[in-house]
Amino acid sequence: MKLAELTLLVTLILSLALMLTFAYNYLAPTPEVRNLALFYLITTYNPQLPYYTVNSPEAVTAIVWDYRGLDTLFETAVFYLALIAGLALARRLYRENPVSFLSTNGGLSIIVKTVTKITSPMIIAVGASIGLHGHLTPGGGFQGGATIAVAPMVIIITFSVFYLLTRKVTTEKMLLIRSIGLIGIGLTAISVFIIGLAAGRLAFVFQNMPKANAPMGLPGQVNGVLISGTLWFFNLFEMLAVAAGFTMAFAVLMLAGKER
Amino acid sequence: MTKILNMFIVACLTFMVYIIFTGSSSVYDLVTGFIVALIVGALFSNITLSNALKVLEPRRWYYLLRYAIRYFIIDETLAHVDVIKRILNPRMPVNPAIVKVPYNVETDYAKTCIACSITNTPGTVVVEIDENEKSFYIHWIDAKTLEPEKAREYISMVFEKYSRKIFD
Repeated sequence: MKLAELTLLVTLILSLALMLTFAYNYLAPTPEVRNLALFYLITTYNPQLPYYTVNSPEAVTAIVWDYRGLDTLFETAVFYLALIAGLALARRLYRENPVSFLSTNGGLSIIVKTVTKITSPMIIAVGASIGLHGHLTPGGGFQGGATIAVAPMVIIITFSVFYLLTRKVTTEKMLLIRSIGLIGIGLTAISVFIIGLAAGRLAFVFQNMPKANAPMGLPGQVNGVLISGTLWFFNLFEMLAVAAGFTMAFAVLMLAGKER
Repeated sequence: MTKILNMFIVACLTFMVYIIFTGSSSVYDLVTGFIVALIVGALFSNITLSNALKVLEPRRWYYLLRYAIRYFIIDETLAHVDVIKRILNPRMPVNPAIVKVPYNVETDYAKTCIACSITNTPGTVVVEIDENEKSFYIHWIDAKTLEPEKAREYISMVFEKYSRKIFD
């Protein structure tokens, strides 16, 4: 019995290894792909190639919001559709009536609460820094927004969700900020196209820097400060939308209760 | 007026963290940091602080500096040495117990400062605070006494003295 199990196990592992060995040629990227990576790395911030560069030293953000920007737009749409679906499912399950729940004794101890009071502004500062430097350093709008959303999450755990609501951080307001963020992302995506339309020149949706056949584009620098054209706006609006969206989702999760 | 002062203090904290985390102080960082600090300051002005005037008293900062130096050099070292001795001793001489230790400070910040100071030194951990009885429940690796007042002298007298001067 024991020998049979062992044999089976060894056979399984060996056949899996054999399959991987043969499949490796198809799974592992071929050296030709490296030229593509090299192209991104060379062009992402290169003033000597004005029609190819994105003017962003952070290649990941350049790829995510410029080289394959349309893909990211739909990813964002999927994320927010999921959020909307979650809110729609919870629509009858929560009520925002903080008055009857208002209590200062709830939540964790005064020690945790005081530390939360000090660290929450610091968390938001770090998140904003990650988001607003997305075109310069690793990070970006989504990461920054998710970091900012940690602060309301911690406040919900240490105080209560009603503490947030009595401080006027309601789900309606979060919905508003999230919508502003989404509208901003949409407008940024078509901004160069509209500029081109107004100027009567050829321009594309999701265009960032001027191209050889489409000379319109957003500036890569403003007064010598690198903003990488649309990338800065994408990161800013994505940060607002993600922070508000996550806050709203956390609040709704904690609010779910029975109807009276 | 108080709200504006609160906002200013919180904004200063936020701005400092923003610049330190960013690790650069170019014009872009200063401008975005300023805007973020203003927004966060407005959001947290009534949450983080209740009496911002205390922040502006130099006497409190002086005691904070003195306490920081004393705490990190003397108290931390003594506690570390004590616990290291207990770990390395083959007989492992521990005598753990949870003792009740009263405190006599008023503000939340002072209570938090004492509790964090106690927890941060090896060997003692604050497990609960009872605000009605004004006392901590502390897990102590070597409970020399179970009397609340005596335990207070062993554990938290110094922390309390400084916390009162800094925050109360």
